Amino acid sequence: MTQATTLNRPLSAAEMDAFGQELDALRSRTMAQVGAEDARYIRRVVAAVRYIEAAGRALLFFGAFPPAWVLGTLLLGLSKILENMELGHNVMHGQYDWMRDPQLNGKTYEWDIVATGDNWRHTHNYKHHTYTNVRGADDDIGYGLLRLFPEQRWRPFFLFQPIIAVIFALLFEWGVAIQRLELGKYFSGRKTKAQLAEEFRPLGRKMRRQIVKDYVVFPLLAGPFFLPVLLGNVVANIIRSLWTYTVIFCGHFTADAETFPKSVLLNETRGHWYLRQLRGSSNLSGSKLLHILTGNLSHQIEHHLYPDMPARRYAQVAPEVREICTRYGQNYNTGSMLKQFGQVVWRILRHALPSRPGVVTPLVQPVGEAA
Amino acid sequence: MNSLSSPARLLGAAVSAPVFDFWSRQFGSIQAWDRCLARVVARQQESANAVSLTLQPNRRFGGFEPGQHVNLTAEVEGVRVTRSYSFTQPPRADGLLRLTIKQVEGGKLSTALCALRPGAVVELGEAYGEMNLPQGPGRYLFLAAGSGITPLMSLSLALEQNPQAEATLVYWAQQRAELCYAEELRQLAARLPRLRLHFVLTREPLRLAGELARRLDAGLLETLAPDLDALQVYACGPRGFVDQARLLAQGRALRFHGEAFTPPALAPGGGSVRVTLRASGRSLDVPSGVPLLAALEAQGLRPESGCRMGLCNTCACRLVEGVGQNLNNGETISEPGSELRICTSAARSDLTLDL
Ligand code: FES
Repeated sequence: MTQATTLNRPLSAAEMDAFGQELDALRSRTMAQVGAEDARYIRRVVAAVRYIEAAGRALLFFGAFPPAWVLGTLLLGLSKILENMELGHNVMHGQYDWMRDPQLNGKTYEWDIVATGDNWRHTHNYKHHTYTNVRGADDDIGYGLLRLFPEQRWRPFFLFQPIIAVIFALLFEWGVAIQRLELGKYFSGRKTKAQLAEEFRPLGRKMRRQIVKDYVVFPLLAGPFFLPVLLGNVVANIIRSLWTYTVIFCGHFTADAETFPKSVLLNETRGHWYLRQLRGSSNLSGSKLLHILTGNLSHQIEHHLYPDMPARRYAQVAPEVREICTRYGQNYNTGSMLKQFGQVVWRILRHALPSRPGVVTPLVQPVGEAA
Repeated sequence: MNSLSSPARLLGAAVSAPVFDFWSRQFGSIQAWDRCLARVVARQQESANAVSLTLQPNRRFGGFEPGQHVNLTAEVEGVRVTRSYSFTQPPRADGLLRLTIKQVEGGKLSTALCALRPGAVVELGEAYGEMNLPQGPGRYLFLAAGSGITPLMSLSLALEQNPQAEATLVYWAQQRAELCYAEELRQLAARLPRLRLHFVLTREPLRLAGELARRLDAGLLETLAPDLDALQVYACGPRGFVDQARLLAQGRALRFHGEAFTPPALAPGGGSVRVTLRASGRSLDVPSGVPLLAALEAQGLRPESGCRMGLCNTCACRLVEGVGQNLNNGETISEPGSELRICTSAARSDLTLDL
């Protein structure tokens, strides 16, 4: 089952260093070009988000007329996808901090989604990006709900996983929102009720704000068309959830994506860290439109190597990253959305049942072995 | 649900600051949620290399006193750049502000500002600075060199509203073409015998009546202000000039107030620098050239951090003033308002962080 063993070869310590240096050099070369063009781009994204949202909401006010409802809902969903992915996600990584615009600042940006920016900065920017696919350190592996890798312990609960995965996808926005609360700790008694209540407070505020905005204020503004607008908002949020779920799962849970034991973190070098990011991530090939709509997470590999590089630059560095990977005998995991998501679905189904880990190529070549 | 009672609050729940600001600008307004934007309404060439901009601020502007400065921010090639400029007029009844921008050679922002035309929009911070002119009797000696004239210009104009104050303004420039407000000042002095005016030109071959050509020294001070011990001296200009003025006046004049524009001096690696944490009101000495996060932690502080490798942005905080260095690529960071990742950045001068 672990095809991965044949795709990658372990690197010697010297190769690992050289690999890291090449990726560092690529980063410096690219960052030196970042400037006015990138600023113009992100401002255009902001404008697109605002105009598409306005158009969508305006059409929804005529939601009693079905074509207007359909188009309005799609546009609102599209604007939310853009805001979530190409704007919010990337800005919160600090990709545009160099512009020094307080409204595009990585530490303070607040996105149009129920998860608070602060919680997400912790679970995503810090934990997921530092400990990518490290079991027990990166909570994004299955979000504590799904068993996607044979290394995760099987329990009968996972038999329901195919259904749970669908519900999770529909409510993904809410799942991400409560991730930081680590409810597992509460249920197993490692967190008190008071602690949980305290942690929930800012999240509760954000949730209320989102609910009031999408499900109260805008429907009320529509007067007699309260219901169609309410429904349009619900559906738009679900569309966004389904899309982000798909993109994110394709990024780390395809057939060849690897997970790692915590021991890899010991004395990890820069090159080693890069290698782990590479082996834990997978890309989506496709058109420019696909890249924009995924917030360039279609370039998940490049994003994990360079999380604070303006995402529109990933397409530019990708060929070079790929070439470096080839030279070092590493698989560059990419494929169409259909192929990659098919593999994700297979993982969800397969590992609902008991499964045993196969042999995995180590990242580092054991000392004393010839290349 | 009390929070749902008023329509205004409901609307407030649906609109956020970035959304409000975006649509406001799209409709050509400078009103903003919580920022002070200002529109350029007039532009005047003030000297060979300086321009005065008259600005109309939005409702967020908090007012100012003559002699104060303000941080002005504008976008240059996609990057926001902030510099401090002085108000060069006292507050006006129509609420308009005048700032004078001297074009610095190679200066990104000053070059962009000097090219601004009416209609352009910039952002203003809050007014600051202690060099003011209290109401009531007072005798002043204003020493201005180069662009140091700007705060002293608004103080000179403020004399009109303060009938018991009198002042001598001495204004140094290298050449006549570099003098700002020459005509405006002459007219003011003609109107106001309480203001005595001296232009000093250090590199002008021909002098006109009333112009001097001497550097600031004890002899000159003796001539211009024989009663120094009854005067309050305000000096503004380059560091060397202000230091010289301080040397001559401090301890002799009634009061001395100096303001110098200087870039911070770079500390050598291993030397010690003073880090001021503005939000927590602390200030401590750390070795220059070592990661700031580690240096602060060594002193018992616990700034927010995550990956500790310059990756997750958790430790980022705003540089208020000073020079930092990114230890990963050696780049120095001195632009106020830049985000500094303190886990991989070191202090290269005394610096202030918004932490
Ligand atoms: S702690 Fe992660 S960037 Fe500094």
